[in-house]
Amino acid sequence: MAENILEVNNLCKYFDVTSGAFAPKQVLKAVDNVSFSVQKGETFGVVGESGCGKTTLGRTIVRLYSPTSGSIRFKGEEIASVKREKDFMKHRKSLQMIFQDPYASLNPRMTVGEIIGEPMTIHRMYSASERRDRVVDLLKTVGLNPDHISRFPHEFSGGQRQRIGIARTLALDPEFIICDEPISALDVSIQAQIINLLEQLQQERGISYIFIAHDISMVKHISQSIGVMYLGNIVETGNCNEIYHNPMHPYTQALLSAVPIPDPDVAKSKSRIHLTGELPSPLNPPSGCPFRTRCPHAKEICSECKPELKQVGGRKVACHLVG
Amino acid sequence: MNYTVKATAEELSELEALSPDLFRKIPEEEKNSEFIASESTTYFADVWRRLTSNKLTVVGMVILLLVLLLAIFGPMFSGYTYDQQDFTTRNAMPSMQHIFGTDKFGRDIFTRVAYGARISMTIGFSAAAINLIIGIIYGGIAGYTGGRTDLLMMRFVDILYAIPSTMYVILIMVVLGANMYSVLAGICISSWVGMARMVRSQVLTLKQQEFAMAAKVLGASRSRILFKHLIVNSMGPIIVNFTFMVPSAIFTEAYLSFIGVGISAPMASWGTLAQDARPLLDSYPIQMVWPVAAICITMFALNFVGDGLTDALDPKKR
Repeated sequence: MAENILEVNNLCKYFDVTSGAFAPKQVLKAVDNVSFSVQKGETFGVVGESGCGKTTLGRTIVRLYSPTSGSIRFKGEEIASVKREKDFMKHRKSLQMIFQDPYASLNPRMTVGEIIGEPMTIHRMYSASERRDRVVDLLKTVGLNPDHISRFPHEFSGGQRQRIGIARTLALDPEFIICDEPISALDVSIQAQIINLLEQLQQERGISYIFIAHDISMVKHISQSIGVMYLGNIVETGNCNEIYHNPMHPYTQALLSAVPIPDPDVAKSKSRIHLTGELPSPLNPPSGCPFRTRCPHAKEICSECKPELKQVGGRKVACHLVG
Repeated sequence: MNYTVKATAEELSELEALSPDLFRKIPEEEKNSEFIASESTTYFADVWRRLTSNKLTVVGMVILLLVLLLAIFGPMFSGYTYDQQDFTTRNAMPSMQHIFGTDKFGRDIFTRVAYGARISMTIGFSAAAINLIIGIIYGGIAGYTGGRTDLLMMRFVDILYAIPSTMYVILIMVVLGANMYSVLAGICISSWVGMARMVRSQVLTLKQQEFAMAAKVLGASRSRILFKHLIVNSMGPIIVNFTFMVPSAIFTEAYLSFIGVGISAPMASWGTLAQDARPLLDSYPIQMVWPVAAICITMFALNFVGDGLTDALDPKKR
């Protein structure tokens, strides 16, 4: 078994929310007690609907937010408790992130060459001329024309910009990349190109990914193992194929039944699980199981205590009715 | 399912009619002839193009240039100095010797207006420049740090803003004496807060953008993120604010001098010139026209340039 490059244990990220100077302080549990691990060279997919804490999870791991509690072990070193940015610098090079919005993630006042060269400037890698050569190489790697080095981001399409963003992360030769919905802002045809590029880079360089998305079929395509998130909690995690073909948690079942099937005959025969109600506010989550308000199988026990992640076969499920 | 597409007899005969000599190789120089792209321009080249396409702005820039030339070279070529008195020609009407006439001490008004332009322009641009620097640094730090620091820094700004600025100026004049530097200090002490607020609000919105987060993930230092990413992207509103700050500083100086707490005699600014002409308004109204006209024309010119810049720097109008 390959070694784990990243281990996350009981990670919590709470935000204090105050609506006014005299209003009582409220706590938003964006990420609540999340545990998972990622093996070297593998992809861990995170799925869930909007507002379930996927992005917060990713940003907490790269320390854009400091975690409230829990531990993050990266290459065997504890990084959750590192307080000062200076002490975290050595991990910055190997732990990188690709952002969701290719229009917002590139500084509009910098040329492509400056954008891709910036990480090397920050970490004082290579000489100025070597940097330029590397930028050209990186542009070729991600499938862009090296002649475009002095252009500005607004001169590119969404897919091209996402490639620039990927080239920028690759400039540091990272071992681990968190892909925060890198394809959700792109056209379907471009999505496939970016996914293929990410897979190709993984094979060539042995990079591990956390792939965050809300499209479970896309996550299944790229990941070896997945975690399904609901209201800041992981409700089911394990091998990707097992979960995809035999979902156990009612939320995973509902997510999978919503995947469109490109064959009308099969689609007709398949029954869909329609979730009723809205996603509860994370400021005021339901008692017990967070999913019980929308769960078609909810029983009395579900409102009484919160289910823990239990080992069921090769995976872990957080549901009272399973196992 | 199998689909076969059959060509009609006409189409087949058309295809057969194509002989190889109908085709030719594209010469090397024509290969890119269908490449469509506008020339890659830098941001400021683009702004300059849009700025110069606005007629009023061009007029404003030309007037501003003329006023600057007048301020620099006017006193040299007039043949008089600003404090040279000549009691034989007092309150003279405009003539060949004195194109704007003379004042009650026989001083050449043209020289004094040109000299006043020096003082007004110096005060206008240096006050704006000082405000720019203090405002960017203060607002940038408050906006980027956020939290309690931001709260404290902005409350201090609110306090400064709440006290009428005339009061500081008068107090500073009393302590430092009436000269250009104390006017400058008086104007700057209260007017940088506007710039600081604007920069703070810009930085607050920009720091939530993904490119600022990306810079942080890449390991960029705070000052690098603030100045290379956030301030650079708020340069548009900052420049616009700067161009509107110049006329407001010039006007504040003129008004302070007019009420008698600005530049002291025999030095001249446009405000003191207007003040000097006021008692003689009934008998020699022409003496009032020159400084007031100079103030008005310069105000208009600066505001035209400011408006033009607002449009040219607005990313939505590209």
